[in-house]
Amino acid sequence: MNHLNNNTVFIDIREFNEKPGPFCMSYGFDLNSIITSIETVGLINKPYIRRVKTGSIDIVTGYRRILALKAINWDRVPCIELLDSSLSDRDLLLLNIYDNLCTRRFNYIEKGMILNRLLKYFEIEDIYRSYINLLDISSRREVGILIKIEELDDDVKEIIAGESLSIKTIESLFELKDHFRNIVLKWIIKLKLNINQQIIFIEYINDISIIEGKSIQEILNEASFADLKMEDDNNNPQKAKRFIELLRSRRLPVLTRNEKAFARQIYNLGLPKNVRIKHSPFFENPDYLLEISFKDGKNLKEILDALARIKGFSNIKDPWKE
Amino acid sequence: MDRLIKKIIIEDGAEHYKLSDIILNKLGHIHVEKGTHNDVSFKRDSLMDLDKETLRLIHFKGEFLKPCPGTKGYICCGYQILNVGTNCPINCSYCILQAYFNKPSIRIFVNLEKELNNIGDIIDSHPERIFRIGTGEFTDSLALDQITGWSQSLPAFFSSKKNVVLELKTKTENIDGLLSSPFRERIIVSWSLNSSDISAREEYGSISIKNRLRAAKRCQEEGYIVGFHFDPLIYHQNWENGYLKTIELLDKYIDPGKVIWASMGCLRYIPELKFIIRKRHPNTHILDGEFVIAPDGKMRYFKPIRLEMYSLIKENLDKWHNDLGLYLCMESNDVWLNSIGWSPVDSNGLSDYLDKRVLKIF
Repeated sequence: MNHLNNNTVFIDIREFNEKPGPFCMSYGFDLNSIITSIETVGLINKPYIRRVKTGSIDIVTGYRRILALKAINWDRVPCIELLDSSLSDRDLLLLNIYDNLCTRRFNYIEKGMILNRLLKYFEIEDIYRSYINLLDISSRREVGILIKIEELDDDVKEIIAGESLSIKTIESLFELKDHFRNIVLKWIIKLKLNINQQIIFIEYINDISIIEGKSIQEILNEASFADLKMEDDNNNPQKAKRFIELLRSRRLPVLTRNEKAFARQIYNLGLPKNVRIKHSPFFENPDYLLEISFKDGKNLKEILDALARIKGFSNIKDPWKE
Repeated sequence: MDRLIKKIIIEDGAEHYKLSDIILNKLGHIHVEKGTHNDVSFKRDSLMDLDKETLRLIHFKGEFLKPCPGTKGYICCGYQILNVGTNCPINCSYCILQAYFNKPSIRIFVNLEKELNNIGDIIDSHPERIFRIGTGEFTDSLALDQITGWSQSLPAFFSSKKNVVLELKTKTENIDGLLSSPFRERIIVSWSLNSSDISAREEYGSISIKNRLRAAKRCQEEGYIVGFHFDPLIYHQNWENGYLKTIELLDKYIDPGKVIWASMGCLRYIPELKFIIRKRHPNTHILDGEFVIAPDGKMRYFKPIRLEMYSLIKENLDKWHNDLGLYLCMESNDVWLNSIGWSPVDSNGLSDYLDKRVLKIF
């Protein structure tokens, strides 16, 4: 492919199919910036096309440019027609990938489209070796997730393409039944959940749904959740936190009950300011931690004296032993 | 179990072993193909398709004897795994093997017999040590015994080693091979036990608890020492009653004086397994419990739930017989102390305890 045998031609815009065809992999894009560019300085790079035997046209590169030109009512599009019949479909796919890589990053849906197309021509091991870094994919596991992404419904794919979701969140979506993915994503967007919260939300809501035999929609329609969603959006981080806490206490009732009981024990001690007693994550380690922050030695001595006056330390125990 | 096999693949280098010939003779009616180590084709849902209908005969190039992979902060029994093969024809919903290996099919390492002498050398070079060796970690020890004959070949080799006990761990009643074997010294046959509910719902392809205990009784009658593993204990509706009924069955069928050990371990899993379980076993309830992530990265029941389960089962096992060699599998010092009332402190301590059981029983 070092010397592409080509020819500039003008194609009637009606000849182009609206669909991306076998080589293009644009999804969930915004045409406005391309339209602005074309309206300001004209079409800088001509799309590459190939005319197939039936006479129809495959867009090799420039799918989004052609859509933009359609949107601003161009009649004819200057294109570079690839005439070299020795170019295989694989060559043209690679031409498109490298053309795109020069100018932009791919979203998750596009990466999934690319991987699925590459799989027609390459073994998975070749893809791991040659394309993971090129496509900015972090691991083989991510390849597996991205390959499956095309199976998702279009409305879900549109949200994924347009929102900042993590690959772990997308992986978690596959745990849900098809028709609940959209609902879950809408909650994520509405509550502006951070990446950790997104993953926890999906895991807990799916678990609760299975354990209680209720649909995800049914659970999220319950007053405790629905009211939260309807609240004013002014303080989204707090709302998101309350939402996750609600789910957590329902999914892990024994744990949350014990956490509260422990917090009550500590509260009842009346500890001085700047002193905290903590348990290990999930109480798995049996030791508790006493944390004192102080300004200087005098301040430390004052805090220690105050601690020495507290009578209730011997009441501290594993909350489940209360 | 061998009736489940629909295809045999002989991988490169596995053709000329005695075990390959034996298996091919026994399964003469089954389609056989040649294969290579790398011919497992990529599948989008390869994790879900374990291809348990294919038997692969393999010339294994890895280590045959490996210590049990314990994790930091949890006390391990110091068991040695004899790697006879991987994957299992029984299809338990909770099985770690679903996530542990990246190659599907039932895989049998046909060069094992040739390697036994090397294993023997390792054992002989440490006469001061007791090797507790088992084959039940990466597969069921007896599920494929009708075709592998492991119950004949392995005891014949290991019974000559005075510092070895061989534990064959199973959920089957495939004991014919054992019963016809003359080698019973330092051979332990052990069964995984659970509540009958869990056995029926989550251990697809296994036999009932009652039938496991009948098989154990038969082995005891034939002079074998037996062991039991309440692992994984699963928190489920009416679990107390379920496990107590299993202990009642133990009382009915088993002579506790000929039990070398009984272990307990609550369900734990690596986080990746959850997705696989949900996909492969959509009706399972084993994930309903309150799992939290432990310092070793595994999901475990929230500690007081584990304490409650261990305490209740220990109390009732003690009522049956108070010298069963009871131990916990992969638990912390703290959980040992607060559930069964003592602790071996660390993995060395537990190894010593189990070695003493070996010396006491044999």
